[in-house]
Amino acid sequence: MGKFWAVFFSASAVLAVALCWVAKDYNWWFPYNQEAVSTIGRQIDDLFHLILVIVSVTFIGVNIALGYVLWTGAEAATNGQKKALFTHGSHALEVIWTIVPSGILLFIALYQMDVWAQFRFKSQAPRKLDIIAEVTARQFEWRIRYPARGKKLMPTPQPDDIYTVNDLRVPSGLPVGISLRTDDVQHSFFVPEFRIKQDAVPKLVIPIWFEVTKPGDYDLVCAELCGWGHYKMKARVKATSETEFEKWRSEAASEQFFDGVSPEAAETEEVAQQSDQ
Amino acid sequence: MQLNPEIRTGKPRRKLRPLIGLGLLCAVLGCGEGPPAEFSWRPSTTDMIPAAKKAVQEVMKESFGTPQQLVAWERMPVDFGGVRGDVAAIQTPGEFTLGLADPALASRVKSGMPIVWLTGPQAESKGTQTAKVESFDPKSLLLVSTGGEAAVGDKLLVGYGSQLQLGRVVYMKNCTHCHGVAGDGMGPTANYLNPRPRDFRLGIIKFTSTLSAERAARDDIHRIITNGIPGTYMPSFLLMAPEEKLAAVEYVRWLAMRGEMEKRLGDELADYNEVSLKSDIGKQEEAYQAAVKAGEKPEKPMGLPKALATSAASFKAYQEEDFPTIIDETADFLAETWQKADDPASLVTPQQSRVADSLESRQRGRRLYMSDRTKCYTCHGPLGRGDGGAVDDFWPKPGTTEKYAQRGLHDLWGNKLQPRDLTKGQYRGGRRPLDLYRRMFAGIKGTPMPAFGGTVLKDEEIWDLVNYVMSIPFESRTPSKPPTAAMASMPPESKVDH
Repeated sequence: MGKFWAVFFSASAVLAVALCWVAKDYNWWFPYNQEAVSTIGRQIDDLFHLILVIVSVTFIGVNIALGYVLWTGAEAATNGQKKALFTHGSHALEVIWTIVPSGILLFIALYQMDVWAQFRFKSQAPRKLDIIAEVTARQFEWRIRYPARGKKLMPTPQPDDIYTVNDLRVPSGLPVGISLRTDDVQHSFFVPEFRIKQDAVPKLVIPIWFEVTKPGDYDLVCAELCGWGHYKMKARVKATSETEFEKWRSEAASEQFFDGVSPEAAETEEVAQQSDQ
Repeated sequence: MQLNPEIRTGKPRRKLRPLIGLGLLCAVLGCGEGPPAEFSWRPSTTDMIPAAKKAVQEVMKESFGTPQQLVAWERMPVDFGGVRGDVAAIQTPGEFTLGLADPALASRVKSGMPIVWLTGPQAESKGTQTAKVESFDPKSLLLVSTGGEAAVGDKLLVGYGSQLQLGRVVYMKNCTHCHGVAGDGMGPTANYLNPRPRDFRLGIIKFTSTLSAERAARDDIHRIITNGIPGTYMPSFLLMAPEEKLAAVEYVRWLAMRGEMEKRLGDELADYNEVSLKSDIGKQEEAYQAAVKAGEKPEKPMGLPKALATSAASFKAYQEEDFPTIIDETADFLAETWQKADDPASLVTPQQSRVADSLESRQRGRRLYMSDRTKCYTCHGPLGRGDGGAVDDFWPKPGTTEKYAQRGLHDLWGNKLQPRDLTKGQYRGGRRPLDLYRRMFAGIKGTPMPAFGGTVLKDEEIWDLVNYVMSIPFESRTPSKPPTAAMASMPPESKVDH
């Protein structure tokens, strides 16, 4: 029976490693099985990989040791040759297994500080950072306000601001800032592909920044259970080149100030509607 | 700590058995499907005398069906879905090549879909058609049908009702929990919402692009589904698949028509209301008793059983003579009005482009806002805060002299209504100048917001008002310079040249 358990525990460890190994082929790896598409996300992925390596080496080592001990113990028990060794503990060993993990932990804590500071500290954020939009979460949608072309986002609404709902447009290839707010309860701004997750807290305006590395459509979801319609809080982040972003902004402005008559505005409205489809 | 001695001495397993049984029962019941969805009835229907109630419910079921068994009533102007085609070539009896206007439509034809023959021998045969698509090859367009023979050139409709069915699925998934199965705005989450979700059954949607007398256009419902309504719980379904959105629009229109049909039949049959009959009899009886007490010799009023019998008899005659006509007329009315809403002529379109948003224009708008021609200030307040004097008054219910129990404005659904606070810059019907123009031109349906277009205000005046209203959120709110102070220095409205 002892040998069975030795094999059982070793086999489960092997299975865990094997599953991890094939995860990518089965689309179990990362959100959408994809590398991060933001610069900060890449760095977070790198941290993840580093920790994964440390943990894997430890896990494999511990399990080999465990399997070995179980197997030799079982062998000894069946032969009845050896008695179990009883020990009150080893001071030296305890010191080692306290100091080594502490060292590893300390290393990780220090090593990740740069990434954390870049993401969270104003002083470490990119110098040239434009706040391109104010994202206001509410039950149960994302309402977004952009400044007019060539203007800066003001803390309060301006007459020429542009509004969208559930549709966050960002230029890719340059760092962009977002002012995050909530109208009601706590929400959380989560773009899995960017590895960006930030709670929106009532009465606070929280800045976030990221640089999208690849144009495309990404999911923006709420990651804080905010009420019965939480599952409906799904929006789109559309990252385009900067010129396309500016073009969209002009179109959206003329659409938003459409008076039903002026022909040039009517044309752009059609264009905007077509691009929505 | 001492353990409960009873548990220690007894046989724990046996004691747990009923509990385990109960748990299993809960698990089975809890995970079950629940009761089937039902279209609820209006009080005007459920309060009818039994014969009238039965007649109305039967008509409704025949015309619209149940949530499980929808009926696509071809008289309703709803795009029920389906692919139109004809018989291009016959292979064997029941097997033919389908001719389609657009080859891309072939992907919509699925086996198992019903076939409706529009022309040819099968269309002429009496009784319901039961033909179905047995198999279909989208490449060769070869269709095997279960029905009888067809001739080349016969026109047919494959999958009639498929859009309505998709609409039902989309609606049940996303909308029912607020708007209710029948579109009555009484879903399970509705009670937690303020403002309450819309009850479509009056056939009225508040924020539309159509003239004040018209129903909502398809585009209006589509826009609301896509953008949501800011300031309410109606969320944006921007990311919903386009075909699902279109199907939801048709389903909502269909529910609105269904609800309006029921309401109109209820109004027509108001004489056969059992509840009001009972209260009338009760009042007559009271008057009789009072007269007897006073020593008079009044005529004894009809008893309730007799009154019900009389009513039932008169309904029987009505049902045979007038009721079919009423149904016909109601259906015609619905078809016509809903069709008309999508007519370009029903759209509110400014004749003149927006007046330049200048200080003068805003001031003209401000004067109109405070004038007795528009009376904007009476509801929206002199500063646009939605606190005009009208919110302190008692208002009569529409069409009656009876007043609401609560102070303030009410909508047609009987909900209390706060005039919009214009300083917030939140526009439920859309924030484009065009949207604001339409609100002022055609009003907001089902609410006291009146339509100014065409009669009270000219185009440029509406634009002045739009410019002023759009500037309200950005007015400086320093106490020393309130907008009313600026008013005092302006010439009175009568001197302004229009």
